[in-house]
Order: sequence, then C-alpha cells, then structure tokens
Amino acid sequence: MIDLIIRLGRSGLGYSETVGRSGIFLFHAFFGLGLSPQGLKLLIHQLYKVGVLSLVIIVVSGVFIGMVLALQGYSILVDYGSEQAVGQMVALTLVRELGPVVAALLFAGRAGSALTAEIGLMKATEQLSSMEMMGVDPLKRVIAPRLWAGLITMPLLAVIFSAVGVFGGLLVGVEWLGVYEGSFWANMQSSVDFKEDILNGIIKSVVFGAVCSWIAVFQGYDSEPTSEGISIATTKTVVYSSLSVLGLDFLLTAVMFG
Amino acid sequence: MESYIKINGLHFSRGHRAIFNGVNLTIPKGKVTAIMGPSGTGKTTLLRLIGGQVKPDRGEILLDGNDVTKFKRKELFDARKKMGMLFQSGALFSDLSVFENVAFPMRAHTKLPEDMVRDIVLMKLNAVGLRGARDLMPSELSGGMTRRVALARTIALDPELILYDEPFAGQDPIAMGVLVQLIRLLNDALGLTSVLVSHDISESLSICDHAIILADGHVIGEGTPAELRKSDSPLVKQFLNGLPDGPVPFHFPALDYKTDLLG
Repeated sequence: MIDLIIRLGRSGLGYSETVGRSGIFLFHAFFGLGLSPQGLKLLIHQLYKVGVLSLVIIVVSGVFIGMVLALQGYSILVDYGSEQAVGQMVALTLVRELGPVVAALLFAGRAGSALTAEIGLMKATEQLSSMEMMGVDPLKRVIAPRLWAGLITMPLLAVIFSAVGVFGGLLVGVEWLGVYEGSFWANMQSSVDFKEDILNGIIKSVVFGAVCSWIAVFQGYDSEPTSEGISIATTKTVVYSSLSVLGLDFLLTAVMFG
Repeated sequence: MESYIKINGLHFSRGHRAIFNGVNLTIPKGKVTAIMGPSGTGKTTLLRLIGGQVKPDRGEILLDGNDVTKFKRKELFDARKKMGMLFQSGALFSDLSVFENVAFPMRAHTKLPEDMVRDIVLMKLNAVGLRGARDLMPSELSGGMTRRVALARTIALDPELILYDEPFAGQDPIAMGVLVQLIRLLNDALGLTSVLVSHDISESLSICDHAIILADGHVIGEGTPAELRKSDSPLVKQFLNGLPDGPVPFHFPALDYKTDLLG
C-alpha cells in the first residue's frame, strides 16, 4: 500500500516536472525566433516543410469530408423536404467543428510526427549537442522556426480544409443530388455568421496549432536519444496531440457555442 | 606549467551511481592532454562538464580562470565560441553539404562577406585534406572523412581549446594515423590546448604531452607518458598493459561461483 502511494507520488512528481520543463522550453522557443534575414529564411523553409507539404492530405481529406457531409445531410433533410438546407449544414459543420478538428488531427499525424522524428534524430546523432558546443542555441536555431511554422500554418490549413470541404459538398449536393444551386448558396450565406462561426473556428485552429506544434517539438527535444526513444516520442506526439485536440475542442465549443 | 583548465573537488552522479568522487585535475595550456580510463568511467561526461552541457553536483571547473559551473546561459554560449568539440559520431548536420557544415559556425557568429567565408572554409578543409570533398553530403562520407570534416568545422572559428571525444574509436589504421597526425599538427600550428578522451592507449600516449588516467571516479595516475609507463600502481599497470584481470576484476560482482551453481 505504502509502496503504491510512493510510486504514485513519484510518477506524479515526474509528470509535473515534465510539464514544467516543457513550459520553460516553450517560453524560450516562442521568443527565440529572431527577425533577422537568417531567421526568416529558416522560418520559410519550415513553413514549406510543415505547411505546403501538408496541403495534399488536407485538400483530399477536405473534399471527401465535404462530400460525405452533403450525402448524409441530404438523406436526412430530404425526409423533411428541406434538402436546400444542405449547404448551410455542410458549411456550419465544417467551419465550426470539422475544419479545425480534422485538420489538426491530420496535422498531428503528418507534420507533428515528422517534426518529432526529425528533432529526435538530430538529438540522437549529437547534432543538437554539437550545435550547442558551437555556441548556437538549438532552441533558437532548430526549435523556434519549427514551432512558429506550426503556429502559422495550422489556421491556414484549417481554413483551406473548410473551403475545400464546402466545394466537396457542392459537388455532391448540387451536381449529383440536384439541390438547387441558388438556395444552396443563399442558405449558407444567410446562416453562416462571420464572427460567430468563422472567427470562432479560426480561434479553435490557432489553439490546436499551438498545442500540436508545442507537443511535437517538445517530444522530439525531450526524447531518449535512441531508436526506441524516438519511436516512443513519435507515438506520444500523435496520441497526446489527438487527445488534446479533442478535449480542447469540447471545452472551446462549450465556451463559444454553449 | 600554466594551466588552461583546472578542476577542483568535482562530484557528479547519475541516478544513484557516483561517476566522479572528488576529481582534481589540471590541463596544461598549449599541450595535448589525454584522458584515459576504462569504459564507463565518465570520460565523455567529463568533456560535457567542461563544455557546460551538464552541471556537476559539487566542485568547480575553471576554464582559463572562470568557473564554468557558475556561467549564465548567455555567458556559457559566449564561452563555447572559444572552444570546439569533436564528437564521436562527427555530428555533422545531415541536411547541409560539407562546405556548409564547415561554414556553419562562421555564418552563425560572424558577419564575414561570402567570399571570405569561402576562403576560410577552403583553408580549413585543406588542413584536413578534404578540400576536394566540399560538395559532398555527410551521408556520402566514410567514417574517417566524417571525423575530418567535423574537425575542420571545429577549427573554423579558431578556438583556444579543442575537446576530442574518442577520436580514434572505430577507425581503420590509415584513418587513425591521419587523425593522430592531425591532432598533433593542429595543436602545435594553431597554438591550441587539446584534450582527448580515449581508450586507445598506444595512439593516445604517442601524441600526448600529458596523460591522466581515471578509474572509479578518481584520478589514479597523471604525468607524462614516460612517467606513467614507469608507474608502480597496479591499477595503472593493468590499464596500460591491457591485462584482463587485476584491480579491475574480470567478473562482475556476484555470489560465490560454487554456491551460485549448487544452490
């Protein structure tokens, strides 16, 4: 019994120590990006790797999610004779929920895991150590551009996801199922509010982007420098990011729309 | 003998295992010093302590008179500009070419114009005999070449001190010979202080001016190679001659063999 309490206490202490360490880490990385031409160059390179290379998966998933939403929405709405509302349904679902959430989950799987593995491997091959010994702070040089790239690209990816999703809904709803295009757009326009829906959705994706990038770079930086350690860190990135995104989504939704 | 590094009463432990138990040592300026000892005696840890990458539990590490353990983050990064460390793996940045790897410290710390960076990089690469390999990527280099490129990068900013972590481990005889010569040559030509950590005894003793043997968290022998060879300490003798059994036992501590087998 005593043993159990000791172990519980020890893991609790270890856990809070990690949280504290990641907080200090975030602070240094967040303010570590210099606005020098070199810093911008590093940032642009990471924006490309984290953002542009994630575009394919975001666009393809967005189209399919929009198409599925329109199909499901139509089959329910048609029973009530209100299939013209399919446009507003697709748009609201995407902008408020699925856009930020699914884009964040995809981001964690595509870009987050890559960031963790890359940083973990740099640590395992002593590249971070050698940078430190050259008097270059790896938090500024390696971590900060990656963190900021995640922060900047996540909201953009979520917006693209929603926009492409609406297009997918249009394809299925209007082109295939024959909803009148005028009412598809008109209903959407009258019911989607910029501040209430779109802005709140963007706020969500900003929060998710911060959390996912933070988790990804920290797990990489804090990983055991072995092949097993990197695999554990990569798994942790995806699991922790997904859980935090879903949990935070509930909290944010409760505050924004509850 | 003027000292560059002076370590007083150093204590360091990892978990419950004490790595250093009151180590005192002096590393002379302008000389090649070899730190030797059996595996697991914390030789690499000692280099990391000197570089300020890990903090000791107790004791002071004086680098040219300043205590590394008391440096703030900024001071530490400034102090590191004056030292270079050659890692066992070379630790080249895998996304940069050989040229860019050697140029990295200059680009990070100086505002030299591009043509001057180019000249210096080529001079440093020439010193290690790899001027022709400037456009290769680290993945295209052999182990010995990787270490030589890393050495060129280490001397890019003309440091006062170079720390070598196991420079000879896993090298073929030719690469080893090249490295042995380079370490000696660079030390004398650039007026550096060199510290090398190794358990390749014959190579280390052949180039060093001063040697320190560590075991069990203490310094067990110190002096010039000739002095060490004449030492009558059984531990030093066992280590220098590579005897399998002696004060460092062949067997990991265990129960008596007979009771263990027969219960």
